[in-house]
Amino acid sequence: MSDAIALLALPFVAALCLVGIHAYLGIQVLRRNVIFVDLALAQMAALGATVAFMLGHPALGAATYAYSFGFTLLAALLLAFTRAWSGRIPQEALIGVIYVVAAAAAILLIDRAPQGAEHLKQILTGTILTVGWGDLALIAPLYLTVAVAHWLLRNSLLATTGSDWRWEFVFYASFGLVVTSSVALAGVLLVFSFLIIPAAIGVLYAERLSRQLLIGWICGAAASAVGLAASYAWDLPTGATIVCAFGLALALAGIAHPFARGGGHARTARHMLSVARWCAALALFASAAGLMLAPRADQPLLDAAELALPALRGLYMNASEDGLYRDAAAYADRYQRAAEQLNEREARSRFDSKPLDDYELARLSSFIKSYNEMRRGEEFVMREVRSRARARARWIGGALEMVLALLLAPGFFTRVRSRLRWR
Amino acid sequence: MQPLSFSGADMRTLALIAWFVAVLMAAPGAALAQAKLRLVATTPDLASLAEVVGGERVSVSSIVPPGLDPEEYQPRPRDLERLRGADAVIRIGVDYDLWLDRLLVQAQNAALARGAPGYIDASVAIALLDVRGAAVGPGHPHGSGNPHYWLDPANAEIVTGNLLEALARLDPPGAKHYERRRIVFLDRLEAKRREWQQALAPYQGQALIAYHNNWAYLARRFRLNLAGFIEIKPGVPPSPAHLAGLARTMREKDIAIIVRQPHEPAKNTEFLASRSGAAVVVLAASVGAVPDARDYIGLIDYNVKALAAGFSRRRNP
Repeated sequence: MSDAIALLALPFVAALCLVGIHAYLGIQVLRRNVIFVDLALAQMAALGATVAFMLGHPALGAATYAYSFGFTLLAALLLAFTRAWSGRIPQEALIGVIYVVAAAAAILLIDRAPQGAEHLKQILTGTILTVGWGDLALIAPLYLTVAVAHWLLRNSLLATTGSDWRWEFVFYASFGLVVTSSVALAGVLLVFSFLIIPAAIGVLYAERLSRQLLIGWICGAAASAVGLAASYAWDLPTGATIVCAFGLALALAGIAHPFARGGGHARTARHMLSVARWCAALALFASAAGLMLAPRADQPLLDAAELALPALRGLYMNASEDGLYRDAAAYADRYQRAAEQLNEREARSRFDSKPLDDYELARLSSFIKSYNEMRRGEEFVMREVRSRARARARWIGGALEMVLALLLAPGFFTRVRSRLRWR
Repeated sequence: MQPLSFSGADMRTLALIAWFVAVLMAAPGAALAQAKLRLVATTPDLASLAEVVGGERVSVSSIVPPGLDPEEYQPRPRDLERLRGADAVIRIGVDYDLWLDRLLVQAQNAALARGAPGYIDASVAIALLDVRGAAVGPGHPHGSGNPHYWLDPANAEIVTGNLLEALARLDPPGAKHYERRRIVFLDRLEAKRREWQQALAPYQGQALIAYHNNWAYLARRFRLNLAGFIEIKPGVPPSPAHLAGLARTMREKDIAIIVRQPHEPAKNTEFLASRSGAAVVVLAASVGAVPDARDYIGLIDYNVKALAAGFSRRRNP
């Protein structure tokens, strides 16, 4: 546990910093309707860093940052100008074009200097897990400065959304400054979630900026904590887990929204329940159709149910099939353990015990290979037994699923009852 | 009908023409005999070894430029052109350079088809590590074995053997030449191998962490213990539990170095290194990945020196 806290404390602080500034910028981005602008700016920054690298500057030096920021400013200028000018083309199209052209140009440049590939990757795929105090000491003052500047200039920045290109430039330039550093720290996917999701939840629930911000910060902090904890508990890549936690937060906020708005709680709840029941009924119906038409194909719903409740197999397998299935499972397990033991032995022989010569190594490898193939064979037997049993029971099983689907579908009961009464 | 008759002058002209025709017909043959065998290798390592065996009788080029990751290589139009004009193609095999298969189909050069004399799989007769069969376990994504076999200098003997056999078949008059060159190379390699063994002998059995499982052969040859990897599946960043486990392993086994390639991300390795006090050692998995690894022997030389320097730094800080 102390290991986990030692490892996750810094990433959590970093996430708080990132949510702090990005929730605010995200609200601005949503107002301006330029959702993917962070990707375009980050990609331009990466292009700048690539150019710096090509010119012989060291990877993490001041010159590289200067080039990155210069290219970001260029993109900011372009975006600020085209804001008022693009009456016929949505600005989002231009943002997309900046993104793909910057990405393609960087690839072309890197082709001339192979070692640069890692460089470009590092700018766009930061991992929040490995944030250090040094990173925080850099970004925290930067974000604070940008936040204070935005606070001081709030009247001009907020009042003239889109009308004055100079204020637009100030917005995009400061945004670029933040995004360039945050993407290098946390990666494109995570920064996009930090930017859009807390802001979206805030905008969903409040009208005033201060309230929107507060809601965004609370949700963002909670989702980050949940994501980090889940990533540790279930041994998952951290960035991707936090992004999914943010997505889940938005989904929950969306579901809760009709209730929070007040008025007609019962009706909203009924409506949602009926949607959920329709979804479940349709899934069951599709599963039933799949079972009856193609019993040997994948049956995700049945597989999941069996995984959760292995006793379900007893419903459609007879005693001999069940015995065969269990036997195969036991053998598969045994072969896997045998292969793992040999692996272990071979790995130890590389540095610890008596070294194997090439002939012994090849012999051992062939045993490992055979065990793995035998395990696959047993797994094939398990699949085959199961699909044969399913094929035999498909009509009854399918019919049962159909009945379940009908029972779950909203309104079916009432209709049947009214029909009976009518007669 | 008048019988055909030639005067003396006519005869001389005819003889002259016949001589010219004979010369013209013989010329391409003579030119071919002198032309170099055009070899295309998939990686700079194979290109270096092919140059060692072929010498001046061959011209070798590598499809993947030095410093690029061959497993993520995206072929270019120029590669097709090169394969169309090639007499032989040399590949790593073991599912490493899979993109070559599609290039070969497109190049439509019958001399390079699988099974033809111009198709050289350098992995033939190599004793592979990490063989798992089609069911891939944890460790390396390659079920048919870990493909980084050229990093064991002993395997250079087998690879050059494969090359010698193929080149002798493609160019029988040069067989003696190729054999001589290979023997000279093996002598040099043997001397170097003794030197390398000596340099790393004090660190036998020592544990180290690697970014990715590229170093199994190198570690086996020099009896080093590869105790863990930062990135288990390519492209998937490590989870916090995995990193915490590695940090624990490093404490328990007192691990002195973490190795990575120049193109692998520095962040994760430095993060672990800063927590454990270990040194990060940048190793080259392929010729040209670092400036010092100019050819095959230079590659192994660079790696051995870098490892020895990393271990000794920890020993006397």
